[in-house]
Amino acid sequence: MVTSSFYHPSIAFLMTAAVLPLLPGNRRWKWLLLIAPLAAIYGAFTNQPGDFLTLTWLGQTLKFGHVDRLSLIFAQVFAVMSLAGILYSLHVDDRGQHIAAVLYVAGGFGCVFAGDYLTLFVFWELMSVGSTFLVMLNRTRESVLASFRYFLYHTVGGLFLLGGLLLRYKATGTFDFTAISPAAAQPYDFLILAGFCVNAAVVPLHAWLPDAYPRGTVTGSVFMCAFTTKTAVYVLARAFQGWEILAIAGTVMAVYGVLYASMENNARRILSYHIVSQVGYMVAGIGVGTAIAVNGASAHAYAHILYKGLLFMGAGAVLYAAGTQKLDELGGLAARLPWVMVCYMVAALSISGMPLFNGFVSKNMTIFGAAEAHQTFVAMGLEIAAVGTFVSVGLKLPYFAFWGGKRTDWKRELKPIPRNMYFGMGLLSVLCIAQGVYPALLYNYLPFPEAVHEYAPWTAWHVLQACMILGFSGLAFYAMRRVITPHKALNLDFDWFYRLVGKALYLIVSRPAAWFDGVWTDVWNVLGLRGLMGSAFGSTVFDRHVIDGIVDNTAYGTRGAGRVGALPQNGRLQYYLGLMTVLALGIFALYFYGVL
Amino acid sequence: MPDNQEQAGALGRFLAAQLTPERIRTWRIIFFLALAVIALLNLVITNHEPHFGLDRYPFFWPVFGLVVGTVMVFLVKKIVQPLIGRPEDHYGDI
Repeated sequence: MVTSSFYHPSIAFLMTAAVLPLLPGNRRWKWLLLIAPLAAIYGAFTNQPGDFLTLTWLGQTLKFGHVDRLSLIFAQVFAVMSLAGILYSLHVDDRGQHIAAVLYVAGGFGCVFAGDYLTLFVFWELMSVGSTFLVMLNRTRESVLASFRYFLYHTVGGLFLLGGLLLRYKATGTFDFTAISPAAAQPYDFLILAGFCVNAAVVPLHAWLPDAYPRGTVTGSVFMCAFTTKTAVYVLARAFQGWEILAIAGTVMAVYGVLYASMENNARRILSYHIVSQVGYMVAGIGVGTAIAVNGASAHAYAHILYKGLLFMGAGAVLYAAGTQKLDELGGLAARLPWVMVCYMVAALSISGMPLFNGFVSKNMTIFGAAEAHQTFVAMGLEIAAVGTFVSVGLKLPYFAFWGGKRTDWKRELKPIPRNMYFGMGLLSVLCIAQGVYPALLYNYLPFPEAVHEYAPWTAWHVLQACMILGFSGLAFYAMRRVITPHKALNLDFDWFYRLVGKALYLIVSRPAAWFDGVWTDVWNVLGLRGLMGSAFGSTVFDRHVIDGIVDNTAYGTRGAGRVGALPQNGRLQYYLGLMTVLALGIFALYFYGVL
Repeated sequence: MPDNQEQAGALGRFLAAQLTPERIRTWRIIFFLALAVIALLNLVITNHEPHFGLDRYPFFWPVFGLVVGTVMVFLVKKIVQPLIGRPEDHYGDI
């Protein structure tokens, strides 16, 4: 899958997945894991726009390499994140986890470069399978159950997409993955949109995310927080730019996510709800649809992947070391895990939009895009979400995980954190700060280069505004720190309805269907079985008297005809000549009388 | 455990040293002073492109951050969570 001007990053990840099970048992195979992300970084930063790698299959043209500025910016951050994620997970000996991760990442790249819906669907499902195993391979009861729920839900989402793309093909005659105008939208377009919205965790289709991500492996959730929702953001940006319903949905997501995050006790569930919230910014930007808003959404996706990966790495490192991710069981760890705390805070300040960190550039660009498009309620909703973000992820989570008003807990046994986990966190920390200090690292790759100068982040007002919002949100947290203290609880979410639907289906199968099955069995025993026996007896009689009779008589007839036919064959030439003469006269007579 | 304390690096020791009541008080004073400076700067540096109407006035964003943060925490922890909070194993899948 390499051409003179295009390298498809998925291929090295797929080859890694194919080779891993075959390698010998020593741990040297782990170094091979780094080849695919390094190759992906090379490809993502050197590929040029164009269409590559088309394949005709069953009368359809599959386009594996549709490259433009939108696909390139997502491919770049996917490549960087894949390297950081694999660095972070190098200590893991379980090959299954690595295979699931690289298959999942391969699916992400495949979606980003897909030029048609069929190709997109194949890689879309590959992601679904890979990520399911990243949850399941945590190998606890709740992880396995969560992985089944996750897979079931994503299968339903995939079926929406499949139904939509097939109906679209029937109507338009093409699988081309192109922009859909909201004015010309058809029901099948809404099916496709629903499929995308499942993966984008659009409220109320989002509850799979905070259900599954906190239950994934420490390293697996780092991958998952980066790829599934951002792939969905990419496909929404490609096909559904300017759909106003997305601007509203994104704003709801942004606020909804922070409200739940403010209640939660589980560190990785807090971060999961913040994925919903932060993806809300991107979905809103896509819905607004102007060049600067879509630039903001793309920049925010880039920044978000880096800082959210780092947040999950930090929370995962605490879980790895302390054995729990529940905030009420943590605290007093800042001095015990100082560099984990520092890296976490870099990510926390990034997601909060603090100056010097990348979220300051991308988040404010998205809000600016909405405000400039006169989407005042959208912009205000995103500002409200910004306050909630800082309160819950920027302050609540690190305060209760690392301090919690407790003295340093020197007695707690902490599992030593492998160096590779620090390397992964260090890489992302550097990038979060580099993009914040030097926004050109983001600006150079935005999908609409003509609009990048509409928003300049580093003005005195923007810096002061960010400091005012965050500083006084911090004061609100200080005032309410006893109210926001987390405690053990499960907060009902829309998965209550999903489970209700599941239970209803189960009841339908187990009660009415089981009753009908029982009745049918009785009917069969009374009527069907007797009928079957009767028909079997009739068949036997028919076989014996009719079939056998025909076969036997055919045999008798053949034998008799053979005997008669053998009579004239006595070897005497004069008999043969006489017989021929009789036959010839007979034929002549028939011809003469007009029979022949 | 003394071993853990002795093995702590320079950053860890620095962070542990900040947890005395005196240091906490110092950090609190620094925090409030910073907030005051930020708020006062808003009298000098103003928003030339207000989008929401009220944001043309000074102190809009400090009030916004404080009010939204406080109301949000109160709303979710005192009103919403008592309604939707359940025991951790409510679904029986832990």
